[in-house]
Amino acid sequence: MSALLFERSRQDRVLAGVCGGLAARLGVDATLVRLVFALLALAGGAGIVAYLALWVFAEGRRTWAAALLLALAVAMLLIALGLSRTAALGATLLVVGLIVILLRGGSIRPGGSVPMLGVALASAGAVIFLGRNTAPGHLVGPGAVLGALVLVIGPWIWQLTTERTERIRLEERAEVAARIHDSVLQTLALVQRHAGEPARVAAVARRQERELRRWLYGSGVGAAASLGDALADAAADVEELHGVRIELAAAGDTPLDDSLGQLVLAAREAMTNAAKFSGADEISVYSEEDGDAVSVFVRDRGRGFERSAVAVDRRGIAESIEGRMTRAGGTATITSVPGDGTEVELRLPRKKAS
Amino acid sequence: MRRIVLVDDHELFRAGVRGELGDAVEIVGEAGSVADAVPLILEADPEVVLLDVHLPDGGGEAVIAGVAPDRPGVKFLALSVSDAAEDVIGVIRAGARGYVTKTISRDELVDAIERVAEGDAVFSPRLAGFVLDAFRAGEPVGGDAELETLTAREREVLQLIARGYRYKEIAARLHLSVKTVEAHVSSVLRKLQLSSRHELTRWAHERRLI
Repeated sequence: MSALLFERSRQDRVLAGVCGGLAARLGVDATLVRLVFALLALAGGAGIVAYLALWVFAEGRRTWAAALLLALAVAMLLIALGLSRTAALGATLLVVGLIVILLRGGSIRPGGSVPMLGVALASAGAVIFLGRNTAPGHLVGPGAVLGALVLVIGPWIWQLTTERTERIRLEERAEVAARIHDSVLQTLALVQRHAGEPARVAAVARRQERELRRWLYGSGVGAAASLGDALADAAADVEELHGVRIELAAAGDTPLDDSLGQLVLAAREAMTNAAKFSGADEISVYSEEDGDAVSVFVRDRGRGFERSAVAVDRRGIAESIEGRMTRAGGTATITSVPGDGTEVELRLPRKKAS
Repeated sequence: MRRIVLVDDHELFRAGVRGELGDAVEIVGEAGSVADAVPLILEADPEVVLLDVHLPDGGGEAVIAGVAPDRPGVKFLALSVSDAAEDVIGVIRAGARGYVTKTISRDELVDAIERVAEGDAVFSPRLAGFVLDAFRAGEPVGGDAELETLTAREREVLQLIARGYRYKEIAARLHLSVKTVEAHVSSVLRKLQLSSRHELTRWAHERRLI
């Protein structure tokens, strides 16, 4: 019912503020509402009576007087539109009956009482209207069946949807609670237990932060669905295993596929190498998607190395990074200056989306 | 020593920053809400305000709006855990000179405060990534073309910031002076603040990166 209530507008008024109030209630422009009433006023004065009806309604909540006036307005409009007086009477009774049903009890839900007065008015109106207007029989029959169906099934559907919304809400709540319990509370417990080991606490806290962030803003829990999420996962693993800090940045993100999965594995290997050998305590990872290619940069400010000085049997760079990128159809470029850090650039051309 | 004010609603975090910064800066005031922060900053007139993006009675943007007209000399450095693009873009467009995440190391924070006090802009790698993404999206729509796009050089500088390079390293790599690199970043900041492209805001709303 509250949806039907409105107040006369005190600021936005030309006469009594009825149009302004109605516009505010409906969320449309007041000029539009005024235009409608003005046009209705031309239809045999129906608009004027309707305006009075709403005024009375807004003023003292005198519903009955307002309904009567409104009925009069409807009748005037119908007559102005060229309906015979009897047809207009029938249609008006039908409308008023429906309004009464809506206002009184307002419930078509199961168990809700249906106001008999409203039903009587509506039925009488329907009989007069159909009888007079000689509506084609082939429309009346199916129409009646449809109406009956709506009356019977409608309340049931209504109940089902409200129950469903409620259930979804409860399920979401339960999910949030479970999630917080599994992740945040467990992490807090872990932090308390390892309070004496700052590196470990920091790693656990960062991992948790990343997980929570992804759950709140990213593609949710479970296997990573996008390049950004997958890189974040890899970074969190490396952080935890090697006690480094990894700073992630990205321009754009893209859904994960097989070759991007290879790219992430290569990036992970680059992060691991930086964590294990560079001596730097922070690693920067930046991913970029520029339409033609996806690039990932893994950089540290560590000690760097001479390529020739790296033992041939260290498979990390040759196999896990360069070989992997080549097989995926991309390239890996490693720039390292002894004493000045290392940067690994992984680049994977993207097939044009067809 | 720079005179700074700390605005964050988490007492614990303020204590942490205070302890970490130690005597590298002079903390002349602390506040935990917009209502407390505005009069405090007007009174204390610090060089730099470390500003949390989220406050209980409004955002960091509200603090900037309350202070900037009367104290145009006060610089704001936004500090946040959020990283949601709309927050970042919002506070930068409100007038902050930089944006760093709360996980920033002490030395970098001190450096960032210094830089902002000097009138330069400070972009975290993550913010640099955001900006590259935001300016790439779509064609410029009307307005001042100069403001709507990044130059190739600005793009290059931003990309290196996103890759984790410091200004000095960027300067060496691009054969520029550090001042020139700073000028490029300040220019990007200006575009971020003045650009009329509505994509920026829409983009920020759509995208809430990790």
